[in-house]
Amino acid sequence: MRLPDRVTGLFLVGLGAAAAYGGWLLPPVPGQPVGPNVFPLVIGTGLALCGLAIAFGIGHTFEEEEEIIPLEGGHAVEPTGKLYGLRALLPPALLLFYVAAADRLGFIITAALIVYATATALGARLKLSLPLAALAPIGIHLIFSKLLRVPLPAGLLPMPW
Amino acid sequence: MFKTLIEAFALISTWEVIIAMLAASVYGLVIGSLPGLSATMATALLVPVTFYLSPIAAIATIVAASSMAIFSGDIPGALLRIPGTPASAAYADEAYAMTRKGEAELALGAGVWFSAVGGIAGTLSLMILAPPLAEIALSFSTFEYFWLAFLGLMCATLVARSSPVKAIAGMFIGLLVSCVGIENPGGVPRFTFGLTDLFGGIEPIPALVGVFAVAQVMRAMLTPEPPPIPKRKFGSIMAGQWRLTKLYHWQMTRGNIIGIIIGVLPGAGADMAAWVSYAMSKKFSKTPEKFGTGHVEGLVEAGASNNASIASGWVPSLLFGIPGDTIAAIAIGVLYMKGLNPGPTLFTEKASSMYAIYLMFIIANILMIPLGIVMIRLAAYVLRAPRASVMPVIMLCCAVGSFAIGNNMFGVVTVATFGVIGYVMEANGYPVAAMVLGIVMGTMVEQAFVTSLIKSDGSILPFFERPVSAVLAASTIAAFAWPAFVWIKRKFSPLPGGERSKPERSAGFG
Repeated sequence: MRLPDRVTGLFLVGLGAAAAYGGWLLPPVPGQPVGPNVFPLVIGTGLALCGLAIAFGIGHTFEEEEEIIPLEGGHAVEPTGKLYGLRALLPPALLLFYVAAADRLGFIITAALIVYATATALGARLKLSLPLAALAPIGIHLIFSKLLRVPLPAGLLPMPW
Repeated sequence: MFKTLIEAFALISTWEVIIAMLAASVYGLVIGSLPGLSATMATALLVPVTFYLSPIAAIATIVAASSMAIFSGDIPGALLRIPGTPASAAYADEAYAMTRKGEAELALGAGVWFSAVGGIAGTLSLMILAPPLAEIALSFSTFEYFWLAFLGLMCATLVARSSPVKAIAGMFIGLLVSCVGIENPGGVPRFTFGLTDLFGGIEPIPALVGVFAVAQVMRAMLTPEPPPIPKRKFGSIMAGQWRLTKLYHWQMTRGNIIGIIIGVLPGAGADMAAWVSYAMSKKFSKTPEKFGTGHVEGLVEAGASNNASIASGWVPSLLFGIPGDTIAAIAIGVLYMKGLNPGPTLFTEKASSMYAIYLMFIIANILMIPLGIVMIRLAAYVLRAPRASVMPVIMLCCAVGSFAIGNNMFGVVTVATFGVIGYVMEANGYPVAAMVLGIVMGTMVEQAFVTSLIKSDGSILPFFERPVSAVLAASTIAAFAWPAFVWIKRKFSPLPGGERSKPERSAGFG
């Protein structure tokens, strides 16, 4: 997801301008010169200016390439196809899946699916991912629902406690 | 004072606090030792649990988990050359070189021992610095608070290991996030886009969990699995540490002091402390050529430094609600939740709670020695846990924990969103710590800013009239102008591109 500075900079210009404009539209506090509009206006302007500076490469010389400590031997090079980068989006997608499905399916089933999907994506074999998907949700349910009394949705598979 | 101390002892000698502390210590040691799981992430995932504890027990878990995690990040650094937390990255190479030379015990022992010493030194700084600063802070008006908060934000951008412009942009993004909701001077819905879920604003804790935990799982999806740790038998771990202490007592003290200073600076935390101290150690060493070949000197100084910064990071947090580092940012959230609102009055009204915090820091750092030794001996087993079994559990904790904060599914959406934001920012060189600071401090900055503007009737002049605020304003403007100055100097300097000022800045990064 490494984008050119020009792209992120211009995005920030847009975001800052939108924030400043949005702040501009807010009503001030009656009888006062300032209100909820000032702060977004200042921040939006600042953000837009920073975005411009980034787009033009100002301050780029300060950046240091992160030192990556190489792993020692014996590592297969991962395939780097076009869709490979999209794997990173799996965790947030699974969280949104949790939001959509947890109330209907219940915590245990949803959580088991999330665990299975994450483990498999990280290269776990069935020998690991299946028992993990069965046990981890029960453990988390025990801690959060029983001990900490968080109302987790029961759904299709309520736990006996 | 004695009475308060006894009260503080009574506060922490309950079973709840003792058990919470022990459990959090073990948790911190395990999370810190697993590569890719940072101390900040350990603390962030702990927050939902602290909801259900008494205030002192809640703080005890954070103190214990964060101190332990910073130390135990040294373990995989020494054994695998993969730092467990970013705070150990500065000297992972050195520690690994020592292991290769057959001195793993000495390297790990130095990690435990000088971490504990550093933690205690940091705590002493907290005890000594905070009360007199609280005296001064009592006379602060909104003008001073505005400049102080602004200065804090600027410091965070100055010390970031990336372009200062990007750091400032990150800070503005964080401040923008804090604008969302109806908690603003006018009480009108701002940037809520008609969503009732956004009326309450964006909670800092789910945002932090997203940035530090979900983004980390996302990165794990694209990076190869670290190699398993070779099994080995350890000799005595503490042997020779006393000798090192006597030999390198000056380096240790210097590490402690640097750690304390960096901890107090907003936004700069344990990882920065370790980098600076390691570089400092190399620079002032009598035998700089030995660095990198398995020389313990740098380990002593940097290990003493990163743990010292953890405790001193609480100084600005407790006094002003300005976090000294990302862990303290989380701690502030917990303090507010537990009715211990940060501010100078905390030291007079809740003095016993403050003493309890000091005591817990000291106990946690003493506890670190035995627990750390056990952890080192068990490391071979803990570090064998494949990533594919740890990350799914982290995912569940993110989902359930963020739901638990408000018993509201919107928290989970926030976590997912900030996971993506954190991931994209990090990948493009925008420091997330600056954004986090903006989110945590946004409401306070705005309040101080708008109240000051109303008081001054829209004029800028009163911002500079009071003596303390004038000094703070001057420092802030200097912090703002510094990157611009360096940039211009570099641009128009006759020497070839950037060579002149580069060593100065990169000296901290060895």
